[in-house]
Amino acid sequence: MSAAAVSCNTSFDGLSGRSDRASSPANDVLQQPVRGDRIVIVGGGMAAARLVEGLVARGLGPQTTVLAEEQHAPYNRILLSAVLEGTHRPEALTLREKQWYAARGVDLRLGCLVADIHRDTRTVELADRTTVPYDRLVLATGAIPSLPPIRGTVRADGSLDPRVQAFRSLDDCVRLLALVDRQTLHDRPRRAVIVGGGLLGLQVARALAVRGIETEIVEGRDHLLSSQVDASAGKVLKRSMARLGTQVYLGARATRLTEEGLRLDNGYTLETDLVVLTAGGRPRANLARRAGLTVNRGVIVDDRLRSIDDPHVHAIGDCAEHDGNVTGFVSPAWEQAGVLADVLAGNEATYEGHRVVARLRATDLDVCVLGDPRNEVGEVVEIANPVTGTHRRLVVREGRIVAGALVGDLSRVGVITQAFDRQTVLGDHEAGRLLLPEPMPAGAARPRLPDDAEVCSCAGVDAGRIRACRSLEDVRETTRATTGCGGCAPAVRQLLATREPELSMEGTPL
Amino acid sequence: MTLSRRGTRLEVGARSQRNKHSPANEGALCRKGWAAAGLRGSRERLTSPMVRDRATGEWSAVEWDQALDMVAARLAELRATHGADANAVFGGGGLTNEKAYQLGKLARVALGTSQIDYNGRWCMSSAASAGNQAFGVDRGLPFPLADIEQTDVCVLVGSNLAETMPPAARHLDRLRENGGKVVVIDPRLTPTGERADLFLQPVPGTDLPLALGILHLLDAAGAVDEHYVAERTTGFDDVRRSVAAWWPEMVERVSGVEAGRLRELAGLLASAEKVMILTARGAEQHAQGTATVLAWINVALALGMPGRPYAGYGCLTGQGNGQGGREHGQKADQLPGYRSIDDPEARAHVAAVWGIDPDAIPGKGRSASELLDALGTPEGPKSLLVFGSNVVVSAPNAGHVASRLAGLDLLVVADMVMSETAALADVVLPVTQWAEETGTMTNLEGRVILRTQAVDPPAGVRSDLEVIAGLAARLGGPRWPTDPEEIFEELRAASRGGRADYSGISYDRIRAEDGVFWPCPDGSGGAPRLFADSFFHPDGLARFIDVDHRGAAEEPNDDYPLHLTTGRILAQYQSGAQTRRIKDLPDDGAFVEMHPLLADRVGAHDGDPVVVRTPRGEMKAPARVVTTIRPDTIFVPFHWVGANKLTNDALDPSSRMPEFKVCAAAVSA
Repeated sequence: MSAAAVSCNTSFDGLSGRSDRASSPANDVLQQPVRGDRIVIVGGGMAAARLVEGLVARGLGPQTTVLAEEQHAPYNRILLSAVLEGTHRPEALTLREKQWYAARGVDLRLGCLVADIHRDTRTVELADRTTVPYDRLVLATGAIPSLPPIRGTVRADGSLDPRVQAFRSLDDCVRLLALVDRQTLHDRPRRAVIVGGGLLGLQVARALAVRGIETEIVEGRDHLLSSQVDASAGKVLKRSMARLGTQVYLGARATRLTEEGLRLDNGYTLETDLVVLTAGGRPRANLARRAGLTVNRGVIVDDRLRSIDDPHVHAIGDCAEHDGNVTGFVSPAWEQAGVLADVLAGNEATYEGHRVVARLRATDLDVCVLGDPRNEVGEVVEIANPVTGTHRRLVVREGRIVAGALVGDLSRVGVITQAFDRQTVLGDHEAGRLLLPEPMPAGAARPRLPDDAEVCSCAGVDAGRIRACRSLEDVRETTRATTGCGGCAPAVRQLLATREPELSMEGTPL
Repeated sequence: MTLSRRGTRLEVGARSQRNKHSPANEGALCRKGWAAAGLRGSRERLTSPMVRDRATGEWSAVEWDQALDMVAARLAELRATHGADANAVFGGGGLTNEKAYQLGKLARVALGTSQIDYNGRWCMSSAASAGNQAFGVDRGLPFPLADIEQTDVCVLVGSNLAETMPPAARHLDRLRENGGKVVVIDPRLTPTGERADLFLQPVPGTDLPLALGILHLLDAAGAVDEHYVAERTTGFDDVRRSVAAWWPEMVERVSGVEAGRLRELAGLLASAEKVMILTARGAEQHAQGTATVLAWINVALALGMPGRPYAGYGCLTGQGNGQGGREHGQKADQLPGYRSIDDPEARAHVAAVWGIDPDAIPGKGRSASELLDALGTPEGPKSLLVFGSNVVVSAPNAGHVASRLAGLDLLVVADMVMSETAALADVVLPVTQWAEETGTMTNLEGRVILRTQAVDPPAGVRSDLEVIAGLAARLGGPRWPTDPEEIFEELRAASRGGRADYSGISYDRIRAEDGVFWPCPDGSGGAPRLFADSFFHPDGLARFIDVDHRGAAEEPNDDYPLHLTTGRILAQYQSGAQTRRIKDLPDDGAFVEMHPLLADRVGAHDGDPVVVRTPRGEMKAPARVVTTIRPDTIFVPFHWVGANKLTNDALDPSSRMPEFKVCAAAVSA
């Protein structure tokens, strides 16, 4: 999964209609997993990797098989844009080495394409027609990028135009890196158009811009980050992008790639050497659908992350739909992986939804989205300053932050996120004050110290006693100030320097 | 520190007045030091053994012989009825090396009990455990404290040394004058944090994910010292992969530290040639304390720092003899010389020094919190001898501890004042104060120093060593020495060949060299700096250990929505049994530090009382409203009765350290 929003809708209202569960308690008892069950995971992404870690920790490694499509050992997909930007070494993406899996008895098969699932015989059929039997099947197939219908991107021979790049896998990233890393100025792309103005689109645009490529963004909706933030925040973002040198075209669709460039439906043609497609994705559920499992947007699962049709089949991550939600984010996927590891180990565990915090990772662009600020109902506190490019909004219900969007200013993000995640009940003024600047740190602009203000805490000496001293030596001798930790020495010097003459003994100014 | 008489007054002065060469504190002292003589002559000083009548609660003064006879008879009787483990001993990290050694011997030889541990378990045990796992040795600082001044970046994780050991803060100032940077990580902006070039303010209990995030960024940036990792360490591959899951925004969500701050710190570390990472109780006193320290050691190792001059990892000690106190046998699992009590060779060596059969040495006992929890239970000890500790104030979940003490058949406390714990005892034995006795301590640098007697004790007071010898004699067996130097000579022999080898150290040598660093085998010069060529594991390599974040044992919820953290303040020390009785030290009592946002939420006003509740207890104290603390966190100092009624006694699996530094709490005006 990537940071790209796969149309995320996160409702945590316990009252929202939950679908009836397919399993009865009696059924549950029959379907309790048993030690020795063969666990087969389809997919080798971040959800699968986290699940395997959980299974290994519970001693289930030797009975686990992972069928991963990519050739790389599971890696941290959400950092691909950081790799593109050049702030992250590609080698540092790997979550666990192949040897790690082998050493723990996990059968990790890379480059392994699954053709079909046969639920009647509980086997998975691979592309090479071999089969893998399972007792417990886990679908962690992730999402597929939705490629917008742009004519001219596929050439006559069926291959993709070399100027067009998707951005989802490590291979995509490596290809793109090879393009932008070219040393000779001649064939290095000068201009790039990013199709899609979501989180991933913004990250890729920033990454390419940081590398000195002129970038433009084409977004079909009327503002940037439309799945996460409202129009006014989107407007601030657009201005920020413009300030960073990236032009944004809104409400525009790319229709055709020609020799001249990328043609938009508003009449513009953007001259470009590179088109990167980041227009979101959708759950990859074709296998499940073919196997006759109920699929809405994703594979529908219950609180134990089981398919509602087949207790031997589970789904987690981007391909799963729980309580009407598909997520597209890593943190709920990992939470699901943790719950499922317990379920597969025979422990009591249920998944009850997850609060999503979406965070943009790009240089000079600060965005944090809590929950679903566009749709969540509640009282809204908002502070915006288009001049400085900030827009901050919190949605509060019964004192709790239920959603929010912070654009351009992330001060206090660490406090706000904590309050959101823990659903802390705040005071009446608190949500608003959290959006105001931090109060001045203690001692930042100290006015004239009153005589009873403590200057040296080591020795417990107040300003008055320092003022009564003639010199630093005098201070040391008579008060012991400055002889402990020494932290008060600057303040003491300051006090001695501004000492008023009439304070000295017998009125003899020094 | 040094002592002098001026007329009839006793004066405490900085050591530099006597000896210009005192690098750890440069002769500077803090308020606690200057005022330390203030307890002398205090009317609260005990000068006679006291026995409490359980029926009436009345105290009566008795003669020493009578008190010791009575205690020894009861101990023997309990042993005869319930077995040797019916008697337990509880020591302290403030006791001299000689006392720690004799106390361990008292338990193992005279009482034959396995049940001995000490309050140091609540102090540095997580760092000790981590040091042993990573480096194969536990010496708080593997370099002199003054090395701080020569490093490039000094990272303090959970340390407020400007208040807990003020003179040491001078090294930070000197470092900054030299162009170095200071980084402080603390949920509160303390006087130490105010000295920092970079300050990170995490949620209590999240120093571990911060370290994972830092290592993630260092690896991502290619800042790992691959040559060092390959040559001098093992285990990096798994650690390197495990931190791939801890990118800055993930860390931000868990720790409440903005990702940009984390990047700043990683950038600072990546560009520095010499980095020193120091942890203290803030990082260590957690149910994941050992893992937290290991995670920071991993950062230091990945940067190639341990063993490099003016760089590496170290732990800042909390108690006067925190280091020495854990090396000579008052720990449940250790014999003198930092030897494992499970090691047959170690048992044979120590048994030979003690002149007993190795099989007569009991096995591993319960750790401090588990020991207190077991008191008075059917399987647990029936008596407890307490030396140098005030457990009713200092133990976590202290209300529970007090109820366990009440379940004992016999509680004996050796102290100089009627501390809160002594007040619950059956017998209280009045003992000497530091100025009235001689002994060695091992400071935070692993430097063994000698403190010589300056004044005569008040009449009626005996030293702990005399108390121990008096009990040992009454329990049968040969005469035990009471002269510190004589005991040190025996300690030297017992430590010979151990990890903390003192065999080359003598009182004369300490005097001549102003302290000697261990390990110091016979004839060697002592070791100010460790790890230059090799670590202490048999293969000479340091260990990377893969750790992951599990979170605090008790997370906030709707009923207890805040994090509570505890700590020290400048004018007080530990349970305050001494410092609260010194009138030169301001004693305004406990307080509850909170952010204005929180104060406003609960309707609290600065100076007005508030009530803090946790699932274990509650306390009332005035609010102190400050902008220097996280709004989701409150702080209570632990020197007074109260704070530790609130704290959680969840334990670290390897160090058995309780989670003093974070639990869930509620506050109301």
